[in-house]
Amino acid sequence: MVLKSYISKNTFRDSVYLMRLSNTVRNFDGVIEAEVIIGTDHNKKFLQSGGLWSEEVEKGAGSNDLIIAVKAENEEKAEKAIQSALDELNKSVERENLLGEFVPRTFETALKNFPGANMALISIPGRYVEREVHQILDAGLNVMIFSDNVTLETEISLKKKAEEKGLLVMGPDCGTAIINGVPLAFANEVKQGEIGIVAAAGTGLQEVSTLINNLGEGISQGIGTGGRDVKEAVGGISMLMGLKALLEDDQTKVVVIVSKPPDAAVTEKVLAVAEKSDKPIVVNFLGGDLEQVRSAGCIPAATLKEAAYLAVSLSRGKQAETEGVVKDYSDLAAKVKNKLTEKQKYLRALYSGGTLAYEALIMLQDQVKPIYTNLSYKQAEKIADVYKSVKHTVIDFGEDEFTQGRLHPMIDPALRNSRIINEAKDPETAVIMLDLVLGYNAHPDPAGSALEAIHEAQSIAAKENRQIIFVTSVCGTDADPQQRDKQVAKLEKAGVLVFPSNADAVSFIGALLS
Amino acid sequence: MEKLFRSELKIINMGLEGFAETLKERETPVMHVRWQPPAMGNDDLLSLLDKLK
Repeated sequence: MVLKSYISKNTFRDSVYLMRLSNTVRNFDGVIEAEVIIGTDHNKKFLQSGGLWSEEVEKGAGSNDLIIAVKAENEEKAEKAIQSALDELNKSVERENLLGEFVPRTFETALKNFPGANMALISIPGRYVEREVHQILDAGLNVMIFSDNVTLETEISLKKKAEEKGLLVMGPDCGTAIINGVPLAFANEVKQGEIGIVAAAGTGLQEVSTLINNLGEGISQGIGTGGRDVKEAVGGISMLMGLKALLEDDQTKVVVIVSKPPDAAVTEKVLAVAEKSDKPIVVNFLGGDLEQVRSAGCIPAATLKEAAYLAVSLSRGKQAETEGVVKDYSDLAAKVKNKLTEKQKYLRALYSGGTLAYEALIMLQDQVKPIYTNLSYKQAEKIADVYKSVKHTVIDFGEDEFTQGRLHPMIDPALRNSRIINEAKDPETAVIMLDLVLGYNAHPDPAGSALEAIHEAQSIAAKENRQIIFVTSVCGTDADPQQRDKQVAKLEKAGVLVFPSNADAVSFIGALLS
Repeated sequence: MEKLFRSELKIINMGLEGFAETLKERETPVMHVRWQPPAMGNDDLLSLLDKLK
């Protein structure tokens, strides 16, 4: 076994590109481990933990250089892998030259060459966000900050500046938004319409907007705020600005607010604005106090699906009813239960969408106990080892412990797929729940990728005369690049139970295991 | 923000190139910035440059 590295001086590529390239190199014949990574101190430490560090890399690479580090069976295979990575890097430069497009290196130059720009989408490393976004706001643009690792102080100062200027700052850590019909970052192709959403919960916005679309209505705006916006320190600046803008917007007839329960002071401010509104406002403070919402004259929704249904009914001028929206699946559960052995008792919910995982915890807390999770949720137990399930387990693979140096599971489900196979080896696993999140920038075929692991898992179980119940919900629309209808058909053909929403899938699981 | 809702979205994308590519594919006006850490990623040099501004 040999360890080889190559340093490409003054070469920079974005992190998603490099993680994809790392995956490609890892799959070469004879390669045991590989990383293609920028030479920052943090990344060098990361190489150390993965056994790819060398003195050459430590001394020779700076934070503007690219490191290709390969561990392979022999020298020849390592060199071949490095050469292939270099060829790929050169190809991307050639492609850019061929397109003949002007690619500026700074915001200033971009703005000069693109007059009238009104939105900046920022996904640079968090520590550079403050510097860049201040100048963007000074130039009068609205901003969506996808980057995470931005300090709280920076978030507050950027949002205060934006507020003074009447500009919108979405994020930091804002993964999804739909503005004027345009899906930004991880968002879905959703029809335009009369329902406006403001959300501090990323996949919450995706689930509500796609369900509204699938019910035949559309979205006026889908404003993301970033989860920290509703903390007292930030004061809900973006949520309040978004809410007020939707209330004043002629296009918007119904408003939906989606968030984990905000800090008390922020809840008060949001509900005070909502109380004065003439427009109907549906509120889903995931697991929050429904009565408090109702007493402010808003319509509380207990699940994301309820929020979508209520908004659609109200936009059609109908009564807002929640009964029967999330179905009772007792009959189906009773039929399916026969397939399980006596030992098969537990749920293994493997999520890629954080809000969806959180919704599962809320819905199951009274039915299925004890639940272990890597999310912070007071009614559930904190899991000791995120790689090892205990009894009923709900894991969000989008959490930091899984995404450090790796692609998000919505882009690359490899880690979750290997967990599916591990869960199948446990004779106590009864149900494996998976969310498949479609949309721009997500994996091109999440169902196909999951099915590879599902087939393997089923054959492991079959050898021991067991059958695992696979439960999924597919968050997306037929107009998404992956086409929801085709994804669903593929899963159903393979015997996977596909439910119309996350809440329905979890309701079924509750009926099956309680 | 009222102005934003009434205008066509024109986006400057800074960071992940894939975000600009998907916007281009659906014909949304976008300009990608090939951003690199300023001052060659050297924090001392960067704070010096900022002071000179």
